[in-house]
Amino acid sequence: MKLDDVNTIVAKVFSIDESEITDKSSPETIESWDSFNGLVLVDELETHFKIKFSISEITNVKNVADIKQHLKNHNVS
Amino acid sequence: MEKSLSDYIALSKNIDDLKYDKKLKVAILSSFTLNGLSETLHVKCSDLGIRYQSYLGGYNQYNQELLNSKSKLYNFSPDVTFLLIDIRNFFGNSFHSAHNISNDERKFLAKEKINELENLIHTFENNSKSKLVMTTLDVPSYSPSGIIETKLEFGFHEMIEEINNSLRQMSKTHPSLYVYDFRQFISKFGEKNIFDYRQFHLGDIQIAFNFIPYLANDLMSYIKPMFGTNRKCIVLDLDNTLWGGIVGEDGFDGIELGDTPNGKAFVEFQKELLSLWNQGIILAINSKNNFDDAMKVISEHPNMILREKNFANIQINWDDKAINIKKIADEINIGLNSIVFFDDDKINRERIKQEFPEVLTVDLSDDPSQFSPILKELNDFHVLQRTDEDKKRGEIYSQQRERSKFEKSISNIDDFLKNLDIQVNIKKSNDFLIPRISQLTLKTNQFNLTTKRYQEEEIRSLSNNKKFSVGCAQVLDKFGDNGITGVFIIDKSEKFWAIDTFLLSCRIMGRGVENAILSQILKDAKANGVDEVKANFIPTQKNKPAENFLSDYGFEKRENFWIYKLNNEIKTPKHLKVETE
Repeated sequence: MKLDDVNTIVAKVFSIDESEITDKSSPETIESWDSFNGLVLVDELETHFKIKFSISEITNVKNVADIKQHLKNHNVS
Repeated sequence: MEKSLSDYIALSKNIDDLKYDKKLKVAILSSFTLNGLSETLHVKCSDLGIRYQSYLGGYNQYNQELLNSKSKLYNFSPDVTFLLIDIRNFFGNSFHSAHNISNDERKFLAKEKINELENLIHTFENNSKSKLVMTTLDVPSYSPSGIIETKLEFGFHEMIEEINNSLRQMSKTHPSLYVYDFRQFISKFGEKNIFDYRQFHLGDIQIAFNFIPYLANDLMSYIKPMFGTNRKCIVLDLDNTLWGGIVGEDGFDGIELGDTPNGKAFVEFQKELLSLWNQGIILAINSKNNFDDAMKVISEHPNMILREKNFANIQINWDDKAINIKKIADEINIGLNSIVFFDDDKINRERIKQEFPEVLTVDLSDDPSQFSPILKELNDFHVLQRTDEDKKRGEIYSQQRERSKFEKSISNIDDFLKNLDIQVNIKKSNDFLIPRISQLTLKTNQFNLTTKRYQEEEIRSLSNNKKFSVGCAQVLDKFGDNGITGVFIIDKSEKFWAIDTFLLSCRIMGRGVENAILSQILKDAKANGVDEVKANFIPTQKNKPAENFLSDYGFEKRENFWIYKLNNEIKTPKHLKVETE
C-alpha cells in the first residue's frame, strides 16, 4: 500500500493505460473521468488504502496530484 | 467473494454478446442514481450465456416512463423490468415532515401513495408483457419520535409498512408482479454499510458502490428461472459433509452428528437441505464409502435428518466421483447444468470442476458451521412460480424408483407398458395450468420438437388467442400421478394446422404418451375439417430423442416441414387410456 499505487487504480477505473497517467491528469485530459467514475475512483482508493475521504476532499480534487496530496494528509506515503 | 463494481464495469466493456442464443431485455427504473447495476447484470448474464440488452430509465423518471404508453420503456419492450424506489424521492418533502403531521394525515398520505403505486402497476400491465420486479420501501432505522415510534397510533414507520403490505397483496393478484423485499437486502448487509451519506449528497447514490454487485446478485434470482437456468438437484458427499468424521473409520457411534457444536452444524445443514427438498429440490448422494456402513447411518442414526426417501438417487461406492455424478444425472434424467455439488474434499471438487464445469461445485469452507450459510447464499434454486409438480417432486421421484423396480421385474417391454395402467388426460390451458405450461417450455430440452421458450405472459396471451390452441397432458399410472408432463401449441391461423410446440417431460418418454397426444391432436384437426397437419423439427444439441418422432408416426417430409395427411388412418396406442376435456 503505497502512494504509487494511485496511478494503477486510476488506470483501472478509467480503463486507460497506466503510462498515460501523470500528476496533471484530470477530467479534462481523461475522457472517461466523469462524475460517476470519479466516485467509483474514490471508492476504490478508500478500499485500497483503508481510509475515508470527507465530502470536501472529494469535491476539491481537480487532478491526480490532488488525490496524492489528500492521501498524504491521510498518512499514506 | 464478490468482485468490485469497477471490476464489473471494466468486464462489461469486453463482452461478446452475439455468440449467445438466449436473449434478455432488461429495463431498470429507479428513483435514485443506480449507475453500475446494469453493467454488473450484463456480466452476470453473460456468465450464464445470456445475451443482455438494457434500457435505463432517466433519473427519477419512473412515473413518466410507466404512465406514458408511448414511452421509450414500452418501446423497448423489456422481458423484465426492475423498479427500485427509495423513500426520500418517493415521499418528497413528506419524507421529513411525515413525522410531524397527524395520524389521520399519515393515513391519508398512505392511501394516496398506495393509489399511486396501484395506478403505476395497472398501467404497466396494460402496456407491457414484461415481468415487473419492484422493491419494497425501506423503513428507516431512525425515528425522531425515538422509542415511542411504535406506540404512535399510525406512525411514519407503520405507514411505510402499510404501503409495503399493499404492494405484497398486489403481487398475489398480479401474476407478473414480483416484490423484492429491499429491507432483507439492507438487513443482510446493514444500513450503515449500504447507505453512504457522502455518496448520497454527492450524487443521490443510495446504494454504496460496493454493494451494487450484491444487489445484482439478488436480482439475478429473477432472471435465472426465466431461462430455466435455475438448479434442480443437490448432490451430496457424506463423510464430513452430511456428518462429521468418516463412518468407515470412526464407526456408527464415532461420527459427529447432533450433540457437539460441530455435530449441530451438520444437523442444521441437513435441516436446510430438507427444507429445499420440501420445495421440490432433488437430493442425491455421491460418496466413497462402504455402502452398508453409510446406509446404516442414513437409516438408523437418531440425529440424521435426511433419510433414504429424501434421496432420488444414491451412489455409495468406490468409483470415480465424476462417473457417479454423470450416473446420477442420467438416472434421474436431468442435465448436469441442473446440479449443485457439495463435497468437503477439495480434490473431489477439483475433479468435478474440471470434468463437468457445467455442474455448480460449491467451494465449501473447512468449518461445517459455514455450510448452512453457504447453502443459503446460493441464488440458484429460485422459481418464478411453484407448480404442483414442484411440490410433489420428492414423491414423484420415489414413485419413479418403484417404477424402475417394476420394469426390471418384467422382461417384456409391451407387458411392462400394458401393466402400467397409463392414463393420459389432455387439458386445455387455463389460469392454473399456465405457469406449468410455461415452465415446461422453458426447461424441456430433450423431447422437444421446436424448443420454443415461452414466458408465462406469452402463454397467457397465446391461450387467449383464438387462432391458437394451447394444451397439456397429465399422465397417471398405477404408481401415481406424474403431473402435467406434456405440452402442445397449435397454430390454427391457416387452412392447415401447424404444430408450434410439442414437448414431453423426459420422465415419461418411451411409454407411448407422445403418440397418444399427437393422435388426439390429429383427430381434433380432422374433426375440424382440416386436411393436413404441418410440423417442424428444429434440431438442437439436446433434442435427439425427438428426432425420429414425426417420421416414425407417419409424417412425410415436404421441403423443410413434416406433413400428415388426415385422410390417412390415425394410429392410437392401445396400452393406454386417453381422456379429453
